[in-house]
Amino acid sequence: MEENKNSRRKFLGRGLKLGLITTIGGIGLTKLATKLNAKNDAHSGKIMELMTTDGALIQIDSSEVMEMDHSQDHDKKYNVREGFPNRKFVMVVDLAKCKNALKCQSACNKHHYITGDNAWVKVYKMQESKDTAPYWMPTTCQHCDKPACVTVCPVDATFKRRDGLVLIDNTRCIGCRFCMAACPYSTRVFNWSEPKQGETSEITMEMDIEHHGHAASDPDHAGVPSIKGTVDKCDFCPHAIQNNELPHCVTACPNGVFYFGDKYEDTVNNGEETVRLSKLLTDKAGYRLMEGLGTEPSVYYLPPTNRLVDFEDGLEHYPEFQSVEKP
Amino acid sequence: MRNQLKFRSIFPVVLSMFLLLAGIQNLYAQNAKKNKIRLKADYVKIMDGDAYLDIKVTTKIKKKNVKVANIALTVYNEFEDEKIKLGTSTTDIKGESIFIIKNVDHIKADSTNTYTLKVSFTGNDAYKKASKRISFKDAEIAAKLISKDSLNYISATLIDKSTDSVITGEALVVQVQRLFSPLRIGKEFNNTDENGTIIVPIQEGIPGVDGNLIIEVVLDDSDTYGTLKTLINAPIGIPIVDESSYDQRTMWSPRDKTPIFILIFTNVFIIGIWGVLLYLITNLFKISKSKI
Amino acid sequence: MKNFDTLIKDLAPKKFGKRGVIWIGFLLIIIIAGIIAYIDQIIKGQVVTNMRDYALWGIYISNFVFFVATSFVGSVTVAILRLTNNTWRTPLVRIAEIIALAAIIMAGITIMIDMARPDRILNLFIHARLQSPITWDVIIIPTYIVISLLLLYFPLLPDFAILKKYFKTKQPKLSKRYGFLSLNWIGSKAQKLLQEKSIKIIAFMIIPVGILLQTIDAWLFSTTYRIGWDSTNFAPYFISGAFVAGVGALVTVIYVVRRFKKLEHYITGSHFDKMGKLLALACLIYLYFNINEYLIPAFTAKKGEAVHLETLFSGSYATLFWFVTIVGLIIPILVLLFKKGRKPLPMFFIGLIVVIGSWWKRFVIVTPTLLHPFLPIQGVPESWHHYFPSLHEWLITVATLAMALLIITLLVRYLPVIPIQRTADEQGLLKIDKNTKS
Repeated sequence: MEENKNSRRKFLGRGLKLGLITTIGGIGLTKLATKLNAKNDAHSGKIMELMTTDGALIQIDSSEVMEMDHSQDHDKKYNVREGFPNRKFVMVVDLAKCKNALKCQSACNKHHYITGDNAWVKVYKMQESKDTAPYWMPTTCQHCDKPACVTVCPVDATFKRRDGLVLIDNTRCIGCRFCMAACPYSTRVFNWSEPKQGETSEITMEMDIEHHGHAASDPDHAGVPSIKGTVDKCDFCPHAIQNNELPHCVTACPNGVFYFGDKYEDTVNNGEETVRLSKLLTDKAGYRLMEGLGTEPSVYYLPPTNRLVDFEDGLEHYPEFQSVEKP
Repeated sequence: MRNQLKFRSIFPVVLSMFLLLAGIQNLYAQNAKKNKIRLKADYVKIMDGDAYLDIKVTTKIKKKNVKVANIALTVYNEFEDEKIKLGTSTTDIKGESIFIIKNVDHIKADSTNTYTLKVSFTGNDAYKKASKRISFKDAEIAAKLISKDSLNYISATLIDKSTDSVITGEALVVQVQRLFSPLRIGKEFNNTDENGTIIVPIQEGIPGVDGNLIIEVVLDDSDTYGTLKTLINAPIGIPIVDESSYDQRTMWSPRDKTPIFILIFTNVFIIGIWGVLLYLITNLFKISKSKI
Repeated sequence: MKNFDTLIKDLAPKKFGKRGVIWIGFLLIIIIAGIIAYIDQIIKGQVVTNMRDYALWGIYISNFVFFVATSFVGSVTVAILRLTNNTWRTPLVRIAEIIALAAIIMAGITIMIDMARPDRILNLFIHARLQSPITWDVIIIPTYIVISLLLLYFPLLPDFAILKKYFKTKQPKLSKRYGFLSLNWIGSKAQKLLQEKSIKIIAFMIIPVGILLQTIDAWLFSTTYRIGWDSTNFAPYFISGAFVAGVGALVTVIYVVRRFKKLEHYITGSHFDKMGKLLALACLIYLYFNINEYLIPAFTAKKGEAVHLETLFSGSYATLFWFVTIVGLIIPILVLLFKKGRKPLPMFFIGLIVVIGSWWKRFVIVTPTLLHPFLPIQGVPESWHHYFPSLHEWLITVATLAMALLIITLLVRYLPVIPIQRTADEQGLLKIDKNTKS
């Protein structure tokens, strides 16, 4: 009887020990297997913070990111100082729809890695006189057909293209700021110090440059990266246009305020509707800012009549002293 | 002997414990990390062009739809319990993928002449597996440009290829290709008549490069036929004229196109004054060298 | 010729006394502080200034305009007075030329300090766009530097020859240097002919070039749309302003040089009297242009102009505006109308006030306009709505002023500040006249 008890104990004891070992071993092996599997798919555990096309920041394992095939549409004869053939880019801003949501500003800031204190898209709180109605007026560079800024540049760093865009070659700019003094729309900003575009953005910027297939600080993708001691401004996003995408402010606006398109095609698009430019300007009495100065801007405004929203709604988050969000 | 027997009986118990635990571990590990992805696939056929699946992969992060890149997809043709693999594709950085169906004749349709394709994702460490089925019938649009009484029209007929009969009552869209998005011509819905045809007048005064317009007739996202598109070259547009001042000499031109007046004035000034200055400097040398 | 020897002894350059050495040391300290601040600016970028996207030009530019304006004195005294046969100018011309040269050299240096990318300065020549007013500036400033240098140098040739002889025994090394610079001048007919012809040409040329220099300087502002700058009045306004600044600087420097070199016999009370009248004339012309510039826009009071004028007359820049107008312009006119006001010591203070007023006047021209753009200033930090120069800007600017004074001091030390040969000729002629008369 005692022998049986002992052997049972021994059995149980051995069994338990064996059980424990196998359990632990099992768990360990499983974990090992998972890790091995994981390693096969992921090269590194390095997490990258990336920006999606709608400006959201997401975290992805860096192995998930792959190199893009550059669009082979690049005509080898493309001259960055001449631009896209057979185009004349225009923008129409519908002041009747603007609520000061400032999504245009944040999208532009993110896609051009703006880290200074002055954004390239500014939404002004305007009121011509006491008795006339206040309204929100988004402004970008007007890409004038008679640009004062280009006229005064001593070194040909800023230039007017055939497709209507006024761009800046930040590798040539000497930082004299005469163009900023000449611009009546106060649309140019200056990099007074080394642009703090940040460690994370550097990785994203390099990928951005590769993805679009152009050099760093290319005039077609302004601000990527910005250069200390030079001037920056809205570029009408040629890097997006070349991929058949609208400029970022246009797509980001939730109220369809910005229309963008080709004047030669007489068609503009605000991300939802595609309309004939001439019809839009005639029907809604389009005008241009400071027409009397003779700058011939490429941005048209539609007056704030039949407003869809109250002006006061935009006052809720009107940052009078800020246009670039800081982390 | 006894021990051996006992060992033999213990072994499968222990083994199953091990496997059970390992299995639970694995399942737990898998389900804990993975997200769901949403597959959207549309069948698109361009007349005299490619037929393809326009695939978009998204996932929900914090209630927002986010595009997912680098998802490996396999496309099958489902036919009577068979799964014929047609090919593979991976989503690009925008979470999209165009899978071109190389030869429509190679795909098998069922008795109702419907083709069924399945886009499948086997899952990876981050995302659960998913799949989407697309069914479509083969159809085509035959379109042409008509000029009547100096007015231009687009005439288009929708035909079901499998039965070779016209399709009535479907809405077609007629639009001219533009930079970002096409511009609609005609009504929002142009329904095919009893002959499966629509006739849409093209308004005058649409500009195009060299006067050429590329007009699209589109059956947009039909449940039965997918998306069909045909392109017509219509040389009836207003030719685009370059209005830019790029080729002219203006105050805002680059240095190689300086206005003549400025070129002359500045160069005359520089040459004139500096010529005199050089003369004066030579005078200094002359003074230095004069002997008397 | 006993008189000739005294003449030379009086006018020949002398070594620095104790005060001279302290003065140079003082200037050097300021200059070194400025250089250190500038190096910091190069490293960190112009963020060390208080300029931002709205006040995008600050005292670097207004300082630059001041230097350009002061350099006009060369054209005025040497050329304009010469062409109008004002012989009393002789003892003043060399100092005037020295001031002009120092000012225009410092203008060239100061504008480079304002460039945020001085490493790309060659772009101004390789990629120059002739349509840009800055390119015109890049052409005219070196031109004016060379003309001023030649205008200083040609009349110096006989003086260098004289000094070579004078220092032969006492300071042989110095004598050799003067000899080298004198270009073998022996006063021969051929040499005199060349020299006089050359001086005539330069004196003639420096007037249009000087006027063009001031005009282009004005065009840097009036070729923009900005309220306060977009004025058809600007070029003549700047020319007359340069006249004031130049003569004011001349008066101040002459007083100091006269005191320290004991030149009371050569630069007499009569000279001060005449300079006083010239300065009064300059200030009256400038006052006329100021009235056109500031009073007439108030007549129509267009919105932009009205806001700008309100800032100057009663707003944030009122103190400065009235200081430069009343203290810097009107009071000098009033004082200079009286003979007592044109005596040497009062003239020195008037000159000083005019120079200080001129410097701050250019600040009043540059900054307020920039803070009133067409579109309201929104979306930028509150500090961007104002501008006052930072420590870096002050250190660098004061250093440039010190450098100008250093150049003047060194030139005054080593050059005869009053043309020796010319004075001798004129006095010699007088001597003969006296003899014949008596």
